Amino acid sequence: MQKDPSYYIQGVLDNNRLMLSRTITLIESTLATHQDIARRVINELLPRTGKAVRLGITGVPGAGKSTFIESFGTMLTKLGFRVAVLAIDPSSTRSGGSILGDKTRMEQLAVNDMAFIRPSPSGGSLGGVARKTRETMLVCEAAGFDVIIIETVGVGQSETTVASMCDFFLVLQISGAGDELQGIKKGVLEVADAIVVNKADGDNVTRARLAKKQYETALHLVTPSSPNWMPPVMTCSALEHRGLEEVWETIMKHKDIMTNSGELQKKRQDQAMSWMWFLVNEGLERWFYNHEETQKLLPGIKAGVEQGKIAPTRAADDLVAVLGKKDLLF
Amino acid sequence: MATGYDQWVEVATKQMKGKSPDDITWQSPEGIAVKPLYTEEDLKGLESLSAFPGMAPYTRGPMATMYAGRPWTIRQYAGFSTAKASNEFYRKNLAAGQKGLSVAFSLSTHRGYDSDNPRVSGDIGKAGVAIDSIEDMKILFDGIPLDKMSVSMTMNGAVIPILAMWIAAAEESGVKQEQLNGTIQNDILKEYLTRNTYIYPPEPSMRIISDIMAFSSQNMPKYNTISISGYHIMEAGADSVLQTAFTLADGIEYVRAAIASGMDVDTFAPRLSFFFGIGMNFFMDIAMLRAARYLWYKQMQQFNPKNPKSTMLRTHCQTSGWSLTEQDPYNNVIRTTIEAMSAVLGGTQSLHTNSFDEAVCLPTEFSARIARNTQIIIQEESQVCKVADPLGGSYYIEWLTNEIVKGAEKIMDEIEDLGGMAKAIASGMPKLRIEESAARRQARIDQGKDVIVGVNKYRLKDEKLDFEVLEVPDSVRLEQIERIKETKANRDEAKCQACLEAITKAAGGKENLLAAAIDAAKARATVGEISDAMEKVFGRFVATTQCVSGAYSSEYSEASADSAQVIDALRKRTDDFLAKTGRRPRILVTKMGQDGHDRGIKVVASSYADLGFDVDISPMFQTPDEAAKMAIENDVHIVGASSLAAGHKALVPELIEKLKAQGAGEIMVVAGGVIPPSDYDYLYDAGCKGIYGPGTPITESAGKVLDMLEEKYCK
Repeated sequence: MQKDPSYYIQGVLDNNRLMLSRTITLIESTLATHQDIARRVINELLPRTGKAVRLGITGVPGAGKSTFIESFGTMLTKLGFRVAVLAIDPSSTRSGGSILGDKTRMEQLAVNDMAFIRPSPSGGSLGGVARKTRETMLVCEAAGFDVIIIETVGVGQSETTVASMCDFFLVLQISGAGDELQGIKKGVLEVADAIVVNKADGDNVTRARLAKKQYETALHLVTPSSPNWMPPVMTCSALEHRGLEEVWETIMKHKDIMTNSGELQKKRQDQAMSWMWFLVNEGLERWFYNHEETQKLLPGIKAGVEQGKIAPTRAADDLVAVLGKKDLLF
Repeated sequence: MATGYDQWVEVATKQMKGKSPDDITWQSPEGIAVKPLYTEEDLKGLESLSAFPGMAPYTRGPMATMYAGRPWTIRQYAGFSTAKASNEFYRKNLAAGQKGLSVAFSLSTHRGYDSDNPRVSGDIGKAGVAIDSIEDMKILFDGIPLDKMSVSMTMNGAVIPILAMWIAAAEESGVKQEQLNGTIQNDILKEYLTRNTYIYPPEPSMRIISDIMAFSSQNMPKYNTISISGYHIMEAGADSVLQTAFTLADGIEYVRAAIASGMDVDTFAPRLSFFFGIGMNFFMDIAMLRAARYLWYKQMQQFNPKNPKSTMLRTHCQTSGWSLTEQDPYNNVIRTTIEAMSAVLGGTQSLHTNSFDEAVCLPTEFSARIARNTQIIIQEESQVCKVADPLGGSYYIEWLTNEIVKGAEKIMDEIEDLGGMAKAIASGMPKLRIEESAARRQARIDQGKDVIVGVNKYRLKDEKLDFEVLEVPDSVRLEQIERIKETKANRDEAKCQACLEAITKAAGGKENLLAAAIDAAKARATVGEISDAMEKVFGRFVATTQCVSGAYSSEYSEASADSAQVIDALRKRTDDFLAKTGRRPRILVTKMGQDGHDRGIKVVASSYADLGFDVDISPMFQTPDEAAKMAIENDVHIVGASSLAAGHKALVPELIEKLKAQGAGEIMVVAGGVIPPSDYDYLYDAGCKGIYGPGTPITESAGKVLDMLEEKYCK
């Protein structure tokens, strides 16, 4: 593996597919040496980032996310945009392995020269996914992609994580037996910039319209995250390529409004700031747990708490006191 | 009776030194618990019992005297290279005792591409004969009287142009439509399930089937318009209960589609035929055919047919290609014989026996002769034909028949709950069931629970291929392209275009597509042109790939502590790889070319993920260029290319070249599937790093792949 950051930087700036791909591998690596190079690469590339539309897409399994991205992404490339898709697939908790099958559902987009699709295994922690995805997004921007689509399965906290790095967060739903709202979490409604009811095709059109009404009602009960934007509910058929232009127009309209009101800039600043704090927390945590002193104290304190000899509050105080020992900090 | 049985238990327990007969009950892959003995007791209350063959509910066979009256039809499936080469092959076989013809088409033709289409450059004539226009079709049947010969055509995707060209070719040789006799497979539902040689989405595909049924019921009364196929479902890994359930459920869906299009059940149901695959589970598949006939009779009652023939399941059978081994290949003659016996005792109406070399290549004249003679010897030397349903009344067979009926009915009920087979397929349920069954089967084989002689037991140390291997030269493609040019140059272009426009119009409207295509075929339109004319309205179908996880390792680990250790050791190696290199070993499994058999790569994908690999799966039908792009974007360590249809010599080296050309030469390429050992050196020379033929245990190939990766990245 090449160790010189400029090797990667030049490759990404030249929009070389292979180099972009290898840079992402570097970002995804669990080795500290690799992450070190990756950090330096990203730092250099940072001035070249920020121009793309950052679009997050979530939806329950079966909502047709991949089909939507296939049709939507293909449409965008026809409009002349270069599209990068970052898809996160779950890793097996038992074997650690994963099946990355996204491209089998994005047959056209996968072979489209205007598109770059990178499926990534979720690996261990959510924090890990968040870091990797965010950095990968930045690298893709530096490589000149106009739209970055981040796809996530709607499980756990992954939606809010993805929403926290996007300009526009799209929630894909399908109509079902009539109690659609069962399938959507309140936390997701709060971060959604639009809800799109997919699979409005065939004998499903009426049901999709009904679902649209229900989501509209539900959205009225949630405080919008922006005073200037009421998240709309739309229907589309990714299969029949209907309603996709409208989705894109909505995203563009959102961008204009957010840019003109200064909210977009503010949003990205906030995202960067909370990202920094996230990293600080992560760093502190890592430092704390790996610390010699913590390792030394932990077994005894753990045993004490388990046996009820030390109160959990007292135990925590004792552990955190590690941080206060001046000589340990340096 | 009870006392007799108790006595037997005593005797048996004594003979087995204290072990009870209950302890040796066998759990079949279908989940049927098979006892070591069946008695009269087991016949009580069996619903599928039937007194006479030729009478409802047909458990014992559709004909009253079965083979005593007339033996089954020996119908060998064949076709390769050019129409001329296939025609010569057919004529020789007919002279040597074969009774009907069965045409295998090139994968390019199946998918509606002309031979000059760059997407299919590696497929032309490899797994069947390439047909581009009526000119090819006329050559294919030159000297074969179509008014007398029953012709079966395995065609599902490009049914409209191919059937149209066959009809038109017959007419141009003076044979009338009503004289035509034969079968077209035309079973599109199972294509979405397993074989993947579809073109259009399910809805327009079902409409095509209805159009063909309507056209033939009016113009070709002797023609079988559909052959509802379980064969490919079995070959994809389904057990016998799954094969029965999914095949019959497909059948019911077609019946409903035809009725919905306004036809009366008795006008088409008697012309429905079936096609089952027969594997090595000898008694199971005898029982399966009997169970299928009973169930079809029972299921068809819901449509209130007046004609008894509407409820009578008639079937073609083929011995399993999957059961053939590349290792010690003459054993395949024996396997095929056993499977053929199973089909015969089950009461098939026609049969194809595989050639022993088919795990390696297409049949040669020699291997085709042995295959054909296998049937002729059973028919003419063994005297098995003298009695109808000779196993009727066997305690075991009758009980087993009933078990399959029960098992299949349960699955068919689930399918009904999902809204029928088309909806079930859309939900992905059948596909996942088949894949799970396949992954479990692979695990049983890899650990020796299912024995395959010469593969996982009694394996030869030094194997040498000592028979001739049929190879289709690349010149076939150039020949086909020449003929397309010639045909296009000599046709009335305006007339041809008008015919094609009429097809597009029919696709958007209600006119019969087959009728429109016959005109186009006569006007010398090509398969590709006719397919495109419909695609303008219908679009092309894109499959979604789902993959099961966990099935392989759970089946494998259950076997013994030893096999659990094998899995754990491999998992540890992938974990160590992650610790040393910063990520898990990542492999792209891909299928290039038009070969749609994806059981192999799915089993590999699912099992490798179970072993701790990150596994990327490519879409079907990739070109080497597209596979290279994906390997690079996903930045995999290694690409596993699966080939089952003779395209490997062109496609694998091209993939390696494309990777190198884009600076990604360090991505290793290995190949798996049906690859003749004589091609190994060629592929190694081209840069292929490993070749894993049929019968390679997953744990072995994964171990070898890890050896290479560790050597390259961990040192």
